[in-house]
Amino acid sequence: MAGSVSIRHAASPRGWEAERRHAFLFGLAPSLLILGAITLVPAAALLLISLTPLNLLDPAGTFRFDDPLVNYRQLLDDPRFIGSLWVQVRLSLSSVTLQLALGLAIALLLNANSRVLAAIRSVFLIPMVLPPIVVALIWKILYTPDVSPLHRALEQIGLPLRSLIANPDTALWAISIAETWQWFPFTMLMVLAALQMIPDEPLEAARIDGANRLQLFRYIVLPYIRPVLVVCALFRLIDSFKAFPLIYVLTNGGPGTVTEVTNFYGFIQAFNFSYWGYASAIAVVMLVAVLAISWSISRFKGSDGNERHD
Amino acid sequence: MNATTDTLGLPPRGSAAEHDVPALRRPGARPLAWLHRHGRVALAVVLLLVLMFPFLWLVQIAFRPAEGAFDDSLLFTPTLEAFRALLEGNFARSFANSLLVSSLSTVLSLAIGVPAAYALTRWRFRARGRVALWILITRMAPPIAFTIPFFLAYRWIGLLDTVWGLALVYLTFNLAVVIWLMQGFFEAVPAALEEAAWIDGCGVWSAFWRVTLPLAAPGVAATAVLCFIFSWNDFFYALILTRTQAVTAPVAIVNFLQYEGWEWTKIAAGGTLVMLPVVAFTLLVRKYLVRGLTAGGVKD
Repeated sequence: MAGSVSIRHAASPRGWEAERRHAFLFGLAPSLLILGAITLVPAAALLLISLTPLNLLDPAGTFRFDDPLVNYRQLLDDPRFIGSLWVQVRLSLSSVTLQLALGLAIALLLNANSRVLAAIRSVFLIPMVLPPIVVALIWKILYTPDVSPLHRALEQIGLPLRSLIANPDTALWAISIAETWQWFPFTMLMVLAALQMIPDEPLEAARIDGANRLQLFRYIVLPYIRPVLVVCALFRLIDSFKAFPLIYVLTNGGPGTVTEVTNFYGFIQAFNFSYWGYASAIAVVMLVAVLAISWSISRFKGSDGNERHD
Repeated sequence: MNATTDTLGLPPRGSAAEHDVPALRRPGARPLAWLHRHGRVALAVVLLLVLMFPFLWLVQIAFRPAEGAFDDSLLFTPTLEAFRALLEGNFARSFANSLLVSSLSTVLSLAIGVPAAYALTRWRFRARGRVALWILITRMAPPIAFTIPFFLAYRWIGLLDTVWGLALVYLTFNLAVVIWLMQGFFEAVPAALEEAAWIDGCGVWSAFWRVTLPLAAPGVAATAVLCFIFSWNDFFYALILTRTQAVTAPVAIVNFLQYEGWEWTKIAAGGTLVMLPVVAFTLLVRKYLVRGLTAGGVKD
């Protein structure tokens, strides 16, 4: 990063412009090269692998492209894959909805002028910054009947409860609740920030006109924070596709395949069964879904005229 | 747009908060408003306790003696027995691995990403928007899409189960974080200062080194902490790309859970140790944390 101390550019402005461009390129190039090497190259490799029958038992399959779409055809006929998509949809929709509701409610609750409220705001952030594996550990303890304080408390008041994560009817909900606990602070933060940017005038005016709290929220606050809520939902939706530690620790995809989301199924295919070609096809499908949502985020952000990168 | 006015930080007094003041002044509403305000605080505190209960429960188990790990009474003599047992085993090593991998990855991503972020901030070239989108996408991409090629490549070149291999993989998300965040910090430094340095004969990078970087130092520190936290928290990559030598602390905890699942005090102690640096750092960079966690999600 040693800059060349020169006074040449003072003489010729055009030469200085070129020198600047070179300097910037010099700073940018390593990053773009490395980013390309660790993202674009693996993405291309993933796509290629997904077109081959590569697996542990058949190392010769590495570069066999005689039937490139075999994995994708197989995906369509794989009830476990289709099932995993359905599990994913249910988990994502339920946990994102719950997170938005809880995060919005707490943000509204905390958005007042009080030293106590300001102080406890950051404590609410804890679940989001904890290592995901610690979150999984916390809920493992809560969901394991013989060690959980909740199960023991319920037993003492005469309402013994079966393990929620061992019961196929409740396992997905149990994960959804743990996921909600982990990620409500995200929505809370974003909404709090948006709430603080609402100008005072329309609220004052509406209040003078006799609007009640509900009307204030519905007609003034909500329109202001709606874009933030949408972005939150899209972001959390994308991240919910990656949910892994909770499922790995709490249910391991079970009971049966009740909590086996697509990401987890891909993981099993790749690293338990070593069907790398097939797992790559699953990953490609996920990647495409994520790209589609990212694209809609960038379009959404562009549409309200505040796009930062021109 | 200006990174110094951190809209997402948590200022003690929000502008929206002032709305409650007129309500207080309304004649006749005073006792009701008083009750209302304290009702809000009381509700918030209760909610806080309920929501933090699972977290606190884990921490208190870590300090219980092994034989009474699940007694209901909250009265017990705290002991560090579980921590001692933990550190005598292999856990200390995986903790050290975690520290090493996270530091390595943080230093690497800053060294490569900071100049790039600066160039992207000050140099308006045509493909800039596309580069930004690409960086955003790397943050979004599901880790499994990267793990399969990385796993196969590492197996082939022998980087599997090494600290360096893992630190390199963490660049896939940390580089995006650095480039994204540091642009905001560099935008806050007035370009006029650099131009003055150029006129005084500095080259682009020497002006950057002597003028811009010192002014953006708090931003670099905050970004470093975030990179560290993101690497530290990773479980998925570490689970797949390590076996025995480079195992990180989160993977070690899961191994405990699978092979020594009855030793709950030790497991809880492991969890407490792993989250300790993260919680400490969070308090340090609370203000910037928000921007890091929501990178790309808000127009800052």
